[in-house]
Amino acid sequence: MLGLRDLQAAFAAHLVGEDRADLASAVVGDTIPAASRLRVHRHHVGQSLASALASTFPTVQALVGQAFFQGMARAFIVRELPGQPVLAEYGEGFPDHVAAYGPAASLPYLADVARLDWALNLAFQAPSSGRLTREDLSAIEPERLLGLKLSLAVGSTLIESPHPIDRIWRAARPDGPDEPISLEEGPAALLVLRGEDDAGFLTLGPAEAAFILSLGAGGSLEEASRSAFAREPGFDLSTTFARLVASKAFAALQHKSMSC
Amino acid sequence: MNPAAGIGLRAPHLAEIVRDRPAAGFLEIHAENHLGASPARQALEGLRRDYALSVHAVGLSLGSVEGLDEAHLDRVATLIDRLQPALVSDHLAWSVAGGRYFNDLLPLPYTQEALEVVVRNVDRLQERLGRQVLVENPSCYLAFAHSTLSEAEFLAELAHRSGCGLLLDVNNIVVTAHNLRLDPMDWLEKLPASAVGEYHLAGHAVNDADGDTILIDDHGSRVSEGVWKLFGEVVGRFGPKPALVEWDTDLPDVNVLLAEADRARAFLDAEGGADARAA
Repeated sequence: MLGLRDLQAAFAAHLVGEDRADLASAVVGDTIPAASRLRVHRHHVGQSLASALASTFPTVQALVGQAFFQGMARAFIVRELPGQPVLAEYGEGFPDHVAAYGPAASLPYLADVARLDWALNLAFQAPSSGRLTREDLSAIEPERLLGLKLSLAVGSTLIESPHPIDRIWRAARPDGPDEPISLEEGPAALLVLRGEDDAGFLTLGPAEAAFILSLGAGGSLEEASRSAFAREPGFDLSTTFARLVASKAFAALQHKSMSC
Repeated sequence: MNPAAGIGLRAPHLAEIVRDRPAAGFLEIHAENHLGASPARQALEGLRRDYALSVHAVGLSLGSVEGLDEAHLDRVATLIDRLQPALVSDHLAWSVAGGRYFNDLLPLPYTQEALEVVVRNVDRLQERLGRQVLVENPSCYLAFAHSTLSEAEFLAELAHRSGCGLLLDVNNIVVTAHNLRLDPMDWLEKLPASAVGEYHLAGHAVNDADGDTILIDDHGSRVSEGVWKLFGEVVGRFGPKPALVEWDTDLPDVNVLLAEADRARAFLDAEGGADARAA
């Protein structure tokens, strides 16, 4: 007879595909054999976690179809189960799994689309409060403004891809435009953000992406602007900065940065 | 809480319910869907003013031999603190082993060893939340040969030792009784009426298994006639309590759910639930 600890360990092994004779012999079988009864749970775990991943990565599923997605998801699930019960927080490793998944190798943009889906999911779960506003900035003396070190708001992610994943994402939406997209259209840099009632992204130019990257690395506004100008001499700091603040892209100022 | 009839609140219905505020006895949410600071949780905090709430957890894993995940418990406790629900519940099942979460309500052997584990976990949960919780009978697809108690005996002893209440899922009784060749009357006869604090009702699927039929608790259809019939007997025996209609897959219009809840309410009214019309 299996003690509860051993029974739960054997059941866990069964759920990810191991056939455990000790477990099967602990289960009552009749016209429905023990193995069939156990399979109900194995099937449910695979199926329910695959649909959880489909909710978190809807664009990936829209691009490859449900059957392909299920196969790709199940290969991930047996390797990496959730570590906790909040399914919206499951799947951080899925984009890397997509990148390494052989059958998807002909879709080189798919892993970056998965990164975009994941970032949108993170943004959706992030609080909308604690954002830097224009009013906060107006309280700062102009000569100190360029020395500010700003952090992106919680739930914001910068995604850079060699592929036009913003256009691919839009085309894969249920109401998306039906027009051809060429992978030659080149790279995309997207800033994923939590909006008031939803998550979305801004499409950034190369200089804007350099600006965000520099801020993310701890640079001041002045240093970030220099990185942006180095990338594109025509970079317009005031327009970009106003757009980012209006989109609530930055975290509210900590006392520390106020005094710098 | 009044013995009203409520509905499970699912994301695709949220906008409509926020806009129309339809009459429903109460709304029940899954704790694990509202632990992030998503717009859905903000909306829920708004609904609190108009509806009694029930927080139904699906991932505390009350049957895990390794004990409760304290980090998850903290998050659930914070949500309960924010929402101040009338009812809090989870299942007689386990879903975590070795720190991995399986997203399934996995069966326990009904033994003294398992009873001690579940009592310890429910004690910890009630201590952390500072309130009584309800524990729900699961849908079972298999039984363990070394069980020494029936499920009803196990639940009765759990309620007695931990002081928890019981959430009686009438559909789960029908599903388990069919799948394990048991008599639903065993639950009615052996459960302590004083511990029963809520009812659940839902639809199930009928699947083929090796030429036999197995009922699957998929919450994807109307409540079956067999479940309604047993519900009548359950309410007759245990009295009117808050009753919830759950629907999780192939979601219908909100109105279909509300009509099912109305049907449930008629059973409660018939058994003298004078306050069952709480809006």
